[in-house]
Amino acid sequence: MLAALAPVLAFARPAIDWHALAPEIILTATICIVLLVDVSTSERNRWATSSIAGIGMLAALIPILTLAVKGGPRIMFGGAYVVDDFALVLKALFLVAGYVTLLLSTNEIAEGDFWEGEYYLLVLSSVFGMTVMASARDLITIFIALEMLSIPAYLLAGWRKREVKGNEAGMKYYLMGVFATAVMLYGMSLIYGGTNSTVLAEIGRQIHGSFGKEPVAALGIVFVLVGFAFKVSAVPFHNWAPDTYEGAPIPITAFLSVASKAAGFVAILQLVFLAFLGRGDVIRPLMWILAALTMTVGNLIALRQTNIVRLFAYSSVAQAGFMLAPLAVVGSSASTTREVLQAVVGYLLIYTVVNLGAFAVIIAVGRKTKSGEISSFGGLFEYAPGLAVAMGAFLFALAGIPPLVGWFAKFQVFKALVSQGGASGITMAVVVGVNSVIALYYYANIARTMFMDAPPDGDRTPIRVPVPLLAAMGMAAAATLVVGFIPGVVAHLAEHATFALGG
Amino acid sequence: MMLASTLGPTPYLVLGAVLFTVGAVGLLVRRNPLVMFMCIELMLNATNLTFVTFARQLDDVGGQVIVFFVLVVAAAEVVIGLGIIVGILRRRPGATADDLRLMKG
Amino acid sequence: MSAFLREYLTVAIFTGVAFGLLAGVLSVGKLIRPVRPQAEKYFNYESGVDAVGTGWVQSPIRYYVFALLFVMFDVEAVFIFPWATQLEIYGWFGAVEMGIFIVLLALGLLYAWRKGVLRWT
Repeated sequence: MLAALAPVLAFARPAIDWHALAPEIILTATICIVLLVDVSTSERNRWATSSIAGIGMLAALIPILTLAVKGGPRIMFGGAYVVDDFALVLKALFLVAGYVTLLLSTNEIAEGDFWEGEYYLLVLSSVFGMTVMASARDLITIFIALEMLSIPAYLLAGWRKREVKGNEAGMKYYLMGVFATAVMLYGMSLIYGGTNSTVLAEIGRQIHGSFGKEPVAALGIVFVLVGFAFKVSAVPFHNWAPDTYEGAPIPITAFLSVASKAAGFVAILQLVFLAFLGRGDVIRPLMWILAALTMTVGNLIALRQTNIVRLFAYSSVAQAGFMLAPLAVVGSSASTTREVLQAVVGYLLIYTVVNLGAFAVIIAVGRKTKSGEISSFGGLFEYAPGLAVAMGAFLFALAGIPPLVGWFAKFQVFKALVSQGGASGITMAVVVGVNSVIALYYYANIARTMFMDAPPDGDRTPIRVPVPLLAAMGMAAAATLVVGFIPGVVAHLAEHATFALGG
Repeated sequence: MMLASTLGPTPYLVLGAVLFTVGAVGLLVRRNPLVMFMCIELMLNATNLTFVTFARQLDDVGGQVIVFFVLVVAAAEVVIGLGIIVGILRRRPGATADDLRLMKG
Repeated sequence: MSAFLREYLTVAIFTGVAFGLLAGVLSVGKLIRPVRPQAEKYFNYESGVDAVGTGWVQSPIRYYVFALLFVMFDVEAVFIFPWATQLEIYGWFGAVEMGIFIVLLALGLLYAWRKGVLRWT
């Protein structure tokens, strides 16, 4: 033991790049301030924690912009923590998604029977974990980031603690999440044992070499990826998603279905592209099966749902399938691999914005109707035309109808799949196509209810939308329309979101 | 330490794999939330054993550092999980995971 | 008397003194302490849990909160010990880093205190 510690004796102070760490430091400081405000003010003044959390997230975006302007990957701690373009784009995505979640939450949490200060504290902690995940290039760092973002999420999922449904949501999410973590860790231990390294770049080199040919390498890769398949709710590891989404407060459902899922994809992308690419022969079939199952099962069950939140839960399962699909051809050639990365990152950016917008409308309508049924959207166009049109835009964007932004996401996925030219890519493209049509059916069904049906209870009083919700909806709607006509914006971001290799 | 060098890492790795399997099967089969917790702990500790064995075999501190982190994070997770369970049991004493099926499909 | 037996004599004397001391202290205690018998005082103590009966008894909920808090802070100490053994080597850099870590932990304790978790009644 002492002999093993001997190299540590020659301790050199690690160089810390304060600029590169600024977003995380700002978030940490905000977390501390929110906690102090929470414990030192009375119940009536707790709303302040919401504003502070929002300001903190926006402030953390500033160093991300300055870092993007300065450019160049910044590699820290022996390659374990890298701030490159990929990390910056996704950190910005997490912060924006976190900020929109706060906008969605403000009224919901203040009016309901909820703890307020702790809520914002936990959302901030979870977003902090996600920003760390975007930079984590080392097994330990990935594990810590995953726990940092998951543990607050377990609590938030069970936030409606006086309701049995809320308890159930928290418990299911917790048990499945911890199980997935254990599976992932076991996979990591096998990979560490084979490569004697936890840094992804070094693991990548060894997997190209002799270690990659051993069966234990394949076992480790599958275990780690299956662990993250839980996180992104891929079938057959999706059982927790609908119940958790229904039982959690709706802003948290939006947060989980968007930010938490995106964090899972970020980890998968880092692991696949930086470490496991040498065993594409293991990853491709695994991802092919996962993607095909996830899309098909998610969509078929979504068809039968009558509750809007559950429908969105299953639709988000299906959307995860669309994002996994390009990974079915990863590593078959250098140009395909680049297109796969672009397709997944682009899809993530677009899906995040549109889904958050849809949830903003669901929350706004639910404030009036107090119902989660799809039929409660009947006649929305008559008494709230603005909301109905916005929701229609989000629905058709999710379905992938031009000129709304979603078509570009799907187009990128097809392009990546077809570019490889092999049978697996083409068949996958067919599966994606068929599933897009199924998805269109249930998205269009909601639109039909909104525009054609009469209100179920005959109540036609207009809906008053609180300002924060309106802001969230406006941002999402603007992005949905503008980017739909100028897809170059997302393409540009996704193209630049490349990894700094080596390090 | 002498024992470890004469036995080699294999028995430890096999024990780790067995414990992991017992934990995973237990989690899927048992329905008492507390027993499910213990199964999760079993899985995490099997992972720890594997990490420590590899760290010893490779003579590398990295594996031992991971075990530190896993231990602490596992404690945090258990605290959260017990909090959720206490919340459920306050409402319904003697609940099992099968009772939690208000929502379905 | 052989040397062998003499060594055992020492043991015997020690045993006698030990018993005598115990009996003396206990009887002095019995003489001077007040006697107010209550049923609870005659239970065996085992970590605050009833020692006899089924395992499925309900403990007071406060007990869990304290136990959970203890587990958290107890385990976090694992990060402090390695630093403490190498204190000089890490110097001021290590001290500042550990200071930040401990301040963050203290914030958790502050939260528990302000929310009234640390009060037993």
